[in-house]
Amino acid sequence: MDGDARSFRIALTADAYVNPPPGGVDGLAVLDEAGWGVMQLPDPAYPAEMTGRILADIAEQVQEFRRHGYDIVLVGQGGGITAALAEVGVPAPDQVIPANPAELRQFLGARPEPRVIRPGGRPG
Amino acid sequence: MSVAFVAHCLLNQNSKTDGGARCPGVYSPAVEVLRAKGWRIEQMPCPELAFTGLNRFWAVREQYDTPAHRRHCQRLAAGVADAISLRAERGEDIVLIGIEGSPSMGVCVTSSDPLRGGRPEWPDGAPELTSGEGIFIEELRLELERRGIGFPRVAGMTHPLPGHDEEAEKASLGSVLDNG
Repeated sequence: MDGDARSFRIALTADAYVNPPPGGVDGLAVLDEAGWGVMQLPDPAYPAEMTGRILADIAEQVQEFRRHGYDIVLVGQGGGITAALAEVGVPAPDQVIPANPAELRQFLGARPEPRVIRPGGRPG
Repeated sequence: MSVAFVAHCLLNQNSKTDGGARCPGVYSPAVEVLRAKGWRIEQMPCPELAFTGLNRFWAVREQYDTPAHRRHCQRLAAGVADAISLRAERGEDIVLIGIEGSPSMGVCVTSSDPLRGGRPEWPDGAPELTSGEGIFIEELRLELERRGIGFPRVAGMTHPLPGHDEEAEKASLGSVLDNG
């Protein structure tokens, strides 16, 4: 891997799984342990206009990852991300709304290997 | 509440320039410190990924310092500034966590080489590190100034720098978080 340790796996992750409330599921910890990158979705308390702009920026970045074959999933409620992805022609990712860490681990563990082409034509 | 606005790649190493990902996904040392101290995490966008994509070359500040890239950073910085403004109005404690040595996200150390360009042939270890902010951080500072909001205190993650010491990096981050 030329010293590059990336996983080619990214979870679009609802805020409540990045900053879990007391008793909530610490999705960030599970995703870290499983080697997934995280793209955090906006705090649902943000005003709609602000959320729309953040989601549009996230969708553009997801489009770039998808173009290269990275695996993208959605963890938690999307809060408008699937509509923002559709705007840039990206289909809705597979989704899990885990009630506990084990459910999230199981979902991540069942994902297929991503098929990535890296710069220079090297496989991921 | 205390909120850390973190560089995108601290939660997603997949966004790094090819060859630069230190770990599969989350850069755990930063998250460990934030969690241990009870800080909320807010991820900022990666300005380089959205502009030059996954196949970008390693670059220095001068290569990103173009009007079009500045406009791109201004658009992204406005979104971050919206969130910072909202939290600042509520009196929340805010820290910005950047990546030292980055042409975009450096907070105290960036990379610079006015002669770099063309076919990439420069030797590894070329002396590109220099004091200063990356371009996105600079644009965020300007956007917050325009809104009359003070720039948050900053912490720079040092793992891309030569001589990196993870414990020192964590201690330094912890110290910035504690000094509110």
